[in-house]
Formats: sequence, C-alpha cells, structure tokens
Amino acid sequence: MRIGIFVCHCGSNIEATVNTAAVAKKSLEYPDVVFATDTMYTCSEPGQDSIVEAIKEHQLDGVVVASCSPRMHEATFRRTVQRAGINPYMFEMANIREHVSWIGKDKDANTNKSAELVLLASEKLRNNRPLFPQQFDVTKRVLVIGGGVAGIQAALDCADGGIDVVMVEKTATIGGKMAKLDKTFPTIDCSSCVLSPKTVDVSQNEKITLHAYSEIESISGFVGNFTVKIRKKSTYVDWTLCTGCGSCIEKCPSKKNPDAFNEGIGTTTAINIPYPQAIPKKATIYADVCRKLRDGKCGVCAKVCPTGAIKYDMVDEIIEEQVGAVITATGYDQMDWTQLGEYGAGKLPDVVTGLQYERLLSASGPTEGHIKRPSDGLEPKSVVFIQCVGSRDKSIGRPYCSGFCCMYTAKQAILTKDHVPESQSYVFYMDIRAPGKMYDEFTRRAMEEYGTEYIRGRVSTIQPHIRPDGVVGYMVRGADTLLGQPVEIDADLVVLAVGVEGAQGAAQLAEKLRISYDQYGFFMESHPKLKPVETNTAGVYLAGVCQGVKDIPTSVSQGSAAAAKVMALFSKPKLQSDPQIAFVDIKRCIGCGKCITVCPYQAIKEVSFRGAPKAEVVGTVCQGCGLCNATCPQGAIQVAHFTDNQLLAEVNALCQF
Amino acid sequence: MSVLDDKERRIVGFLCNWCSYGGADTAGTARANQPTDLRIIRVPCSGRVNPLFILKALMNGADGVLVSGCHPRDCHYALGNFYARRRLETLKEFLPIIGINPERFHYTWVSASEGQRWQEVVTKFTDHIHKLGAAPKWSEVPALKDVKFDLVDAIRPLGCGTHPALAELKAEIKKALPDLHGVLGWRKGYDAIHAEPFLMQTEAEVDELIWGPFNVQNLANFLPKHAGKKIGVVVKGCDSKNVVELLVEKLIKREDVTIFGIGCNGTVDYKRILAKLPEDAVIESVVGGGSGVKVTASGKEYDMPMAEIAQDKCRLCVKPNAVISDVFLGKPTIEPECEDGRLPALRFLDTLTLEERMGFWKGQMEHCIRCYACRSACPQCVCRDFCVSDSRDPEWLTQEDSVEQKMFFQLIHAQHLAGRCTGCAECERACPMDIPVFALKQQFGRMIKKIFGYSAGLDLESMPPLLGYELEEANIKERDL
Repeated sequence: MRIGIFVCHCGSNIEATVNTAAVAKKSLEYPDVVFATDTMYTCSEPGQDSIVEAIKEHQLDGVVVASCSPRMHEATFRRTVQRAGINPYMFEMANIREHVSWIGKDKDANTNKSAELVLLASEKLRNNRPLFPQQFDVTKRVLVIGGGVAGIQAALDCADGGIDVVMVEKTATIGGKMAKLDKTFPTIDCSSCVLSPKTVDVSQNEKITLHAYSEIESISGFVGNFTVKIRKKSTYVDWTLCTGCGSCIEKCPSKKNPDAFNEGIGTTTAINIPYPQAIPKKATIYADVCRKLRDGKCGVCAKVCPTGAIKYDMVDEIIEEQVGAVITATGYDQMDWTQLGEYGAGKLPDVVTGLQYERLLSASGPTEGHIKRPSDGLEPKSVVFIQCVGSRDKSIGRPYCSGFCCMYTAKQAILTKDHVPESQSYVFYMDIRAPGKMYDEFTRRAMEEYGTEYIRGRVSTIQPHIRPDGVVGYMVRGADTLLGQPVEIDADLVVLAVGVEGAQGAAQLAEKLRISYDQYGFFMESHPKLKPVETNTAGVYLAGVCQGVKDIPTSVSQGSAAAAKVMALFSKPKLQSDPQIAFVDIKRCIGCGKCITVCPYQAIKEVSFRGAPKAEVVGTVCQGCGLCNATCPQGAIQVAHFTDNQLLAEVNALCQF
Repeated sequence: MSVLDDKERRIVGFLCNWCSYGGADTAGTARANQPTDLRIIRVPCSGRVNPLFILKALMNGADGVLVSGCHPRDCHYALGNFYARRRLETLKEFLPIIGINPERFHYTWVSASEGQRWQEVVTKFTDHIHKLGAAPKWSEVPALKDVKFDLVDAIRPLGCGTHPALAELKAEIKKALPDLHGVLGWRKGYDAIHAEPFLMQTEAEVDELIWGPFNVQNLANFLPKHAGKKIGVVVKGCDSKNVVELLVEKLIKREDVTIFGIGCNGTVDYKRILAKLPEDAVIESVVGGGSGVKVTASGKEYDMPMAEIAQDKCRLCVKPNAVISDVFLGKPTIEPECEDGRLPALRFLDTLTLEERMGFWKGQMEHCIRCYACRSACPQCVCRDFCVSDSRDPEWLTQEDSVEQKMFFQLIHAQHLAGRCTGCAECERACPMDIPVFALKQQFGRMIKKIFGYSAGLDLESMPPLLGYELEEANIKERDL
C-alpha cells in the first residue's frame, strides 16, 4: 500500500502546541507510508488540492489527515480523496486538535502523542477496504412531534412543499405556549390573532394529519423509513361526531377543576375544549375529575350531546404511521419554581408565573382580560416583576439564561399600565438581555414611556402582610445593587419570570428517538454552529425551544429550517445507505444465531445456504453498531470499517508488550 | 511505540463515536486541560467493544484501558451499551485471576455534551494509572514452576462399579434405536481403563455399551455434529447440562434428541491411575467394586481407592443426575450440597498475589503445545473449524510460539464460554500437558454467578447473560474512579 500523511497546522490551533513538521517526518518511518507533509489549513481549497495532487504524484492509495475531529471534517476529506480517484473509505483521520493540541500545552508530549495517533490511523488504514453505499427507497412523509408554533411552521412548510405530514400533539389542542400568550413583543400583536390563521391552516391542510391528545409510543427504523407507533389517548368523545358546540361543557357538573390551559388560574369542567380557538375544536373528558368515569354516577354530557359523541368506554388506541423523517418541536416547560423559598415556594396566591399572568391579561382568560389578582379579585395597583427566577443561578444548578424573559417582562409591564393606568410596575433584574430586532428599543419604552421602575438586584423574601385597610399586601424585600442599598416594595401582585427547561417527557422521547439530551431536557443538535437543526440520528431534526431557549421568531425560523432539511432529504429519488455496516463471511458462519439474538434492529436474518443455517445482514436496516461483531465467536460477522482486524491493528500499534 | 520517557503510561481508550468521542471533542473545544497519556480508538458503539480487545491491550503491555459509551438508555443504537455493561463488568471481575489488577480497566458513560465530565474521567483515570505504575509485563514476571495442587476431599460417596441399570439402559436404547440415526455412548477403549465414545447403530453395538467410572468423555460434545438428525445420547449429570446449554443456544433441536439419563457416581482421572503404575506397565484388566478399582498391569495387581483416583470435578459434583432426560434409568444419585465448588487450581490461585498469578500462568503456558485438545473436548466450543485462533481474518492470534499467544488463546476460549460454560472441565481433562485451563472458565463462571445469579446448563428457558441485558442491573453499580 502507498499511504500519504497530511499533518494540519490548523493555523496556530494545532501548530502552537504540536510540532507538525516533526510528526510528518516521524510518520515517514511507518509501514507503507511513502509521503508525508504538514500543511497550514488542510481543509482549505489549496489544502485539499494539495492532497489531490499528492495522490496523483505519489500514486497514493490511502490517505491520513491529522487535524481536527473526524466528526468535523471526515466527510470533507472523504470527498477530497474521492475527487482524486480513491475510494472515500481508504481514508483515516487522526484527531490531533480536540484530542491533543487543545487539551495540553506540553509540546513534546503533544508531538509524541500526535505521531502515535498518526501511526494508529495509518495502521488502521492498512486494513481498510474500499466500501460502496447501497441505495434505498424513502417514505416521503414527515412526523412532526409537538403542535406549538415551531412544529406548526415546520408542518405547514413541509405541506407547502408537497410532503405529507403527521403531526402529534400531546394536549387536546395545538398552539402550544404561544396560544396562551396575550400579546407578543416587541410589536404588541395579539398572539392568538397571529397564530390562529396558522393553526386553522393545519386543520384544513389536506397534507396534514393531526393526532391531538396523542403521544409517541415508539419509533423504530431509520432515516427514510421510520415506523412510528402513536398512542391516541382516550378522549371519551368520538371526535368524528363532536361538533364542538359546547353543550356538554355548559351542563357538566364537575366545574371546580384546575384549568391547565389557564395555567391553573381559574377552574374548568371535567369535559372541556381548552380555549375558544382550539384546533381541533373537540371536547375531551378528563377521567380523573369526571364523575361518571371516576364514580360511575352522572352521565349528563352523554344526555345533552346532540350527536351522541360521548363514549365512556373509549380506550387508548395505538396507531402506526410510516414516515421518512421526524421533526421534534416539543418546546419547554417552566422549571419547578416552588422549590424556591424566597418567592414563597408556591404558597402565596398572588405570586404568579409569567405564563399565569399572560392568562390574566388575555381576553380569553379566566378574568376576561381584566387584571384581577387570584386571591381576592383586587385590581393590582402595584405590581412587582422578578426576573431570572430559576435562571442564571448556579446555586440551584440552573446556570443558563432563559432568553426571552427580559422581553416578556417588559411587555407585561407595558400591558399592566395599559390595563390599569394608575398602576406602577417594578422589575427586579440582573441584566437586561434584549439583543433582537427592535428589542432594546422596546425595553426602553417600558422604562421611559410607561414609567416602569427597573431595579437591578435580587429579591430575598416576599412577605404577606395585612395593610391598615385590611387588604393583604406582599412586602417584596430585595437589594438594589446599583444604589447599594436594600429595597422594600409593598406589592399587590408579584409576577415571576420563571426559567424554562425541556418539556416534561423530553428525555423519554429522546430515548425513543435515540438522540442526545442534556441535563435540562434540551435535545442536542448535531453541531452547535453548523448543524443546529440536525441531530446525530439521521432523519431526526429539531425545531424550537426543545433544542434550547429561543423566542417566537427564532422558533419559527428553526421550524422552517427543519422543514427545509426534510425537503432536501426527500428531494432525492433514493437515499444512499452508509456502507459501514455488518457483513457475513458465509464460510465462517456456523449459523448459531447469536448475532440475530443481540441485533437491536432485527437487521440480521437466518437464511439457508446449501442446507445449513447462516446469518445474512439486511443492508438497509443495519445501522453498523457492531454489537453482532463483538458477539460472534468466530468473527464471521464483521462491521465494515470497524472490523476486528482494523481495531486490532490499532491496539497492536499501541501495545506491543 | 515507546511510552514517552516514562512520563506517560500507556493508556488505551475505546470510545463510542456518538457520545463519548463527542464528549472528548467537546472537552477539547472547551480547551479542558487533560493529561496526554490517553490514546483514543474510535468505535461505533461501546457494544462493539469485544472484551478481547481490552484483554489484548492489557496482555500486550497497556497500563490502563478505558471504555466509554453513551449513558444507559441513551445509546445511539438503543441497546449497545446495555450489552456492553454486562460484558465489561464480567471482564473486570475476571481480570484478577490472570494477575491483572482490575483497577487498570475502567468503563464509564460520558455523553457528547459532557466535556467537563470527560476531562474529569481522563484526569482521574490517568492519575490512578500513574499511581499504580507500569503494569507488570509477561516477559518480565518470574514464571511459577512445579506447582502441585492439594487433592480435594469428595463431598459425596464415589462409586466404581458398573451401573446397576446398565441392562435396563441397553433395553431402552434398543427400543428407541429403530427411530434414531444412532445413540451416543461409551465402549471399552484401547485398554481396560480407557473408554471411548461411539455411535450405536445396531443392537450388537448397543451390547458393547459400558457404564462406569471410566466414562469420562462428555458425549454432548458430539451432538452439534449430528444436528439435523434424530439422535440419542447417554448422559451423566455434567453431560446433560451441556445438552441443556446446546438447546438453550438453539444449536440442536429438542425434538431431534432422545436423552437417556443416568445418575453418576464419579469418574476417574486416568492420569492419577497411570501415576500409580510403573511407567512401562501394560494394563491388562480392571475390576471395580466397593470403594475402588483393582488394576492388573504387567502381571501385578494394584488397588486404587476412588478417593485417590476420581476426577476433581466429580469430587465436588452437585448435579450427578441428568438434569434433562427422556428416559431416566436407575435410582438417582444423592445430590450433595457444596459450598465451595472451586477446583484445586482456582483454590490455589486465590491464595496468590496478582503478580504471582501472572507468573503462574506464564509457567503453565510454557508447557502448552497449542494442540487445542482443550477446544476439541469442549462441548460448547461450537465454532470447530472456524475458531478465530486459526484465522487470519480476523487475526486475533499469530502462530508465534510465545507464552502471550498461548495465553491469549486460553483467554479467547474462556471469554467465549463466559456465561455458557457448564463446568464440565473437559478442557482440563483433555490437556495432555496437565495445564489447569478450566480455572479460567471457572473464574468467569463464578463471576457470572455473582453478578447475574446464573449458572449455565440448568434451565431450558434461560438465556446466557452476556447475550441479554436488563435496563437496570441489580448487581452492577456504576463505579467512581
């Protein structure tokens, strides 16, 4: 074999702590290495061209690039060597940046380590074989998980592009968090007026199949061919018959149930439609509070329903859908702020969350848009907003900024003044983060036009007390760190900008999708800069806050971006499968079936070969994990590009007695 | 390649591409300072890491091996790390018996977002390996020579005569014979103390069947060769466990096998008989009865009590009766309780230090002639002609005549049997050089028992633990460094 080695400086990223010239020189001593050089930026156009030239000039049939992580540029260099006529799999990378130059400053040790990593790569390369991808069909349908604004945008864009969409929403209506908002910053647009046309589009678009009040049971398969099992939770109402007339809701005697859509502010009936513009506008019975389902006594809704849609004996149904790609847009939930004692630990009735306050402001909310505090219905004249509740707080393990709270707090302060002109709002803040278009101007308006008093500092306690007039007040004590003195404000209502985290159930969903998630429940993108919409599982894309905190316009953009990714994927008549998959040496296979037992994908089947049982890999199903390879005692099944001999070559290069 | 001026130790890492390799990249991107010793080998999944790679590295001079994968439940391939967890834990528990400090091998889970955790893992593991120092090398440890093991007392009465139900057994076989391709049994071998396995296909051949303390060979060994044919087999307790294991692994079909079970009163260790005879003695006849056998050799008579000549495994046998049978002949033998099933070699090894154990195996392997009799005698060694030890692709072993290569074959054999070995100890009996190779399998066996509460060959409904997984493993706790 004739191997060429290219050691990259990566500007000074590698060169500063690795003697790349010495690495190149050393590698000339390795078996089969006939050419070695160091280059400034191997991934640049001249850098890649120099590889192509060297391949031709020195008749190379294998190339090692020592540079950054293969997770960064393996695909780039595979294309480069292919351009010069070498099979892309006759290429290896030595990661001397992330695993060497960036993690230590000892130049001698780094140079030695880099040289060894090059040896590792070239020893593996000597056992590489050319590999060729297979082609397979793709199911041109997409699953969108989550019916918030990001999922809606993704679904509409995909549908617009001619792709069939299956949307799964776990609550009884789509709309997500945006549907709960009164107005949106910085335009003070009516949130539902902006959103409704889109939700209606979803319900009317022939390309979109909506499964509301449903959850993902399981997902199997692979890019282009996923099989999704969806649990349609029992609504006890036949939605094909329900017209959304609302008679059942009027007559339902179980009225005192916490209203989830209104964030627990106000009550609702056991059978309900979440809000007037709900899509689908269908009633759902919540079994835990329904008298008929819980105690067997009642049945009023069934009596009054004009279409006979009520079905008390309904059970969950599991349906199956075939899709080629998945967009997750599961959004967020607020962190559990009731663990925070300084804000009353959830025990003070007039300390509400930002989302609850949205419902108090909203005309469709429990107070019909009149600000009335929950405990006694008083119209508040003094409102304290506290930002960064459960955000940017290392002491409770929440170091990150929740991103949009500065802006909605300013909006809520402005709306408070609009609703109650004689009111005064105070905002406790840490820093004001308003980097969006027209955002800073907006927060300034809150201060300057609406007279909101911004106090830089944290709140230490909220103490309820009875004022001389007998009304309960809330003494908010905090620090003004700009003035360097304590502050006390007697508030009628306190609004907390509660930090956000990945939606409840995000981790479980991530496990079903086989994508990574972080400790806060946010899904991990494939690359933080260059692949913010992709995941490490091919065919699964991210949109909206499920990937990390972002505001509405950014969520919508990411929804569109995810849709664009899906359309790009589906634009090809066939997909190419990764050739790094298992293959069977039929002579060595004794047909014991251990590989079949362990394969997570049922990608290996037993076939009969001249009367003897043998294993056979289904190429398009195999994902190349190599579990079979590690299980087969004869080594008859090997995963291409990570065969026993390739890994043994690496072990042997490092460990020689 | 040399370790840098003794400033570094040789540490090999196997990292899954999706989580831990990404975590190491994340650490790098964050410029998280780390020791320089670790050399990372990228694999698709921790489930790809055959424990033999780790053994290979440790046998060939690695001072430490680190395996890292996705967190359980977060595997990119859904299940790979669940299998890895079982296999790696079992390996870690196995290591001390060959003289390798288990602390030199660590496995853990690091996600792609956990750069900081990766930094901690690498730093702590490297520091720990530096504390342990350079690993002892096979080439440097002194070989332990002339080891003698103590005889263990039998936990049950051992018999030495012909089985009383032999006539009944022959009748049963003759009855079944017309429907079968043949029935596996034993007949008299080339001299009176040696029996040999044979396939009975005629009534005359059935009459040659013998049943007594000389029937040492495990007849389950021959069943996979006859797979697909209707075949009968005569089994004692230990053989029957292999029949079960072969059925569990679907290497033979239950409907194809007719099992004639009998209780066993113990078998002899030929080598112990021969040791009591002059080297030039020619064995003429053997008479059994009472508590021993009387061997006539070159005209002289020798009384040999079973207590002195029985195989070690028979002395400690708790399953003398066939655990599975279609026909069971005679009365079952008493099934004793046994608290310590370790054969003498394992008992001895347990008293040694790690370095002495390495020296022990070095001394033993110096005798190994690579005849692979151990492999041929093993009923669970089903690869036969396709054993990796004879293969160039994959090339786990070279044909070099070195202690390391010979030992590595034994490790391959033992690792392949982990969770599958029923403890028949045929490997050790078959060894012409008296190397106690069963100790390696017994070490795996007791660790499998400890971790999974599992013994191979007892339950048709069971699954060898290393071919399965649990979401939560009761006895595998994640270790801190």
